[in-house]
Amino acid sequence: MSELKANCPSCGGSVVFNAGSSIVVICPYCRSAVARTDRGLEDLGKIAEVAESESPLKLGLKGVYRDARFELTGRAQMRHELGGTWDEWYATFSNGWVGWLAEAQGRFYLTFYQPMQAGTTLPTFDGLQLGEIIAQIPAQSPLMVQERGRATYAAAEGEIPYKLTPGEVFEYADLAGKNNAFATIDYSIDPPWVFVGSQVILDEIGLGDAKPVKREARDVAATAMSCPNCGGPLSLTAPDQAERVTCPNCGGMLDVNNGKLKYLKTLRPPENAPSFVAPIGAEGAFADGYKYKIIGAVVRSVTIEGIKYYWHEYLLYNSMIGFRWLVHSDNHWNFVVPVNPADVTPPQYIVKLQTATYNGKQYRVFQDAMAVVEYVKGEFYWRVEQGETVRAIDYVKAPEMLSQEISPNEINWSLGTYMPVADVEKAFGISDLPKPWSVAPNQPFTGRFYYTWGMLPLIGLLLVAIVMLPMTSITRTAKNQQIVLPEFTAPPPTGGPGQIQFSEPFDIKANSNVRISVQAPVSNSWADIDVDLVNDQNQEIESVNVPVEYYSGTDSDGSWTEGSTSSDATVSSLPAGKYTLRIEGTWQDWQKPMPIQIKVEQNVNRGVNFCIAFILLLIMPLLGIMRKLSFETARWKDSMFTDSGSDNSDDD
Amino acid sequence: MLKKLYLVFGMGVIALYGTASWFGWEVANSGSHSRLGVPFFYSGFHGGK
Repeated sequence: MSELKANCPSCGGSVVFNAGSSIVVICPYCRSAVARTDRGLEDLGKIAEVAESESPLKLGLKGVYRDARFELTGRAQMRHELGGTWDEWYATFSNGWVGWLAEAQGRFYLTFYQPMQAGTTLPTFDGLQLGEIIAQIPAQSPLMVQERGRATYAAAEGEIPYKLTPGEVFEYADLAGKNNAFATIDYSIDPPWVFVGSQVILDEIGLGDAKPVKREARDVAATAMSCPNCGGPLSLTAPDQAERVTCPNCGGMLDVNNGKLKYLKTLRPPENAPSFVAPIGAEGAFADGYKYKIIGAVVRSVTIEGIKYYWHEYLLYNSMIGFRWLVHSDNHWNFVVPVNPADVTPPQYIVKLQTATYNGKQYRVFQDAMAVVEYVKGEFYWRVEQGETVRAIDYVKAPEMLSQEISPNEINWSLGTYMPVADVEKAFGISDLPKPWSVAPNQPFTGRFYYTWGMLPLIGLLLVAIVMLPMTSITRTAKNQQIVLPEFTAPPPTGGPGQIQFSEPFDIKANSNVRISVQAPVSNSWADIDVDLVNDQNQEIESVNVPVEYYSGTDSDGSWTEGSTSSDATVSSLPAGKYTLRIEGTWQDWQKPMPIQIKVEQNVNRGVNFCIAFILLLIMPLLGIMRKLSFETARWKDSMFTDSGSDNSDDD
Repeated sequence: MLKKLYLVFGMGVIALYGTASWFGWEVANSGSHSRLGVPFFYSGFHGGK
């Protein structure tokens, strides 16, 4: 490092340029930005002291990146045109590199100047399109324009490696790529400078130890103030990041400018909007393992077919993590985290369905509407306005909802995860939250078990049936005999006794069903045969009735037949033993004898037990599938997009 | 809880099916003289009509 000691041209105090790369040093006595030029030192003007922030970083911290040691030698604080500030720390490396470590909302981005090849032309600031891939910038993955905006050099300290002019407004664009790739285009210079790097965590760059000290200390930090409108007390939970706060006493919206409050207007909640159900200040532990505090709440709405639909968004804050959202809509809850836009594959039409892909998952478009801020309460890290409008597109894959918000200068993606009411109640330690009455766009279906794992018994039944098949389905004929029932001498009375014959004895085996088949030479007539299976050992009887009838003829439609010349009856298994058939019959042509062929079989596979078991086990999976279909119908009925992918917002 | 109950029920149905198949018990379509009126198990009916 080449050290240069000089006197401040403004106050005469001693200033030191420690790093050879330093162009500007902030005079520690008079806060002048002192630039070294070919002609000597130049006073660029006074610059404000950096606003107190809860950054874990500070000047002089030393770290390591890719085996190169660096030291934080300077810091500039930029103010976004829409409010909010971020810090840029200048890392002077021992090998001569200069890195830019940007810190915004708890995230860190380390970038380095990337010289562009001769002849490369970047899009102009005005020509930049959000979401556009800037292929001219060499990087590991394509870089997409995530944000474009204007910012002001608001404050600085230490040494700065470029000519920082206090109060200067500059244009910039932030780009993001997969795997945390990150880049910035600085349009304050012509041609614009490009800085390429990645999002980092402090551990990766040897600054992990810096993190806990200040961050833990600020966990409960709150700054007490009074409302300039009503004089009532109010406090800021994240004073270094708050841009807007509403007074809890008078409802006035206040602008927070470096801790100075300015009354803007008094807000009134919309008449038809539901009331907030969670209070500002409530703290809860969420699924990501962190405890968050509700510091702000927003009522937003979309208008579809002339009807306004409201929902609530609670801004959650944890000093270690930053900001998250808890969205409450129709009494459904979602925990929302920001996602890197570059990790989202832009929406595309797959078989007419618009889908976006994130983390390898496809999300299906649900709604595309203009979302309006109707009312706000609490504290916010941007200059929230009543009436602020963005285009909001929601994609769903339960239990997640991927949301894209498009404003003129920024595209943001976020991922909401459905939270059952019980989980929200548990998080906040309450028990009286209203219950939902409808199906949320990303509400998971909880009855999936019955048609997934619930199919296991059915599969088990099939396996058992396959195993049992050889044992139960090899039919054995126990008796096959022709028996002639003699003719009646007089017409048999209805229900009276019939002619009786006995078969020869035969063996019946245990544990097998018994089928008795009767074949009778009936033609346009009937025969009613009662068969008793008589156990020869103990005279126990099992009786079956086998009616046989067969009719045929011809009419205008042609020939027809009805019934059959054979019929059968089956009984459950009988005790093993010797049996005799007692056959008693009556028949229509009583004047003639009735020769019948009677057959006794065992192990007949009728499948009746299987069918009954199958139907029993099918009931729950079937009900599950029906519930699922009904659930999905309810989920998509409020969508602007149908299965066919066409916009059905005009439908009833 | 309901899921466990359903699985227990399912296993019960399979067990009953397997047992019935093994012992030849069957929901019969005849055997009207069963004492229980359910022609499933052998009735051991004594006597005629």
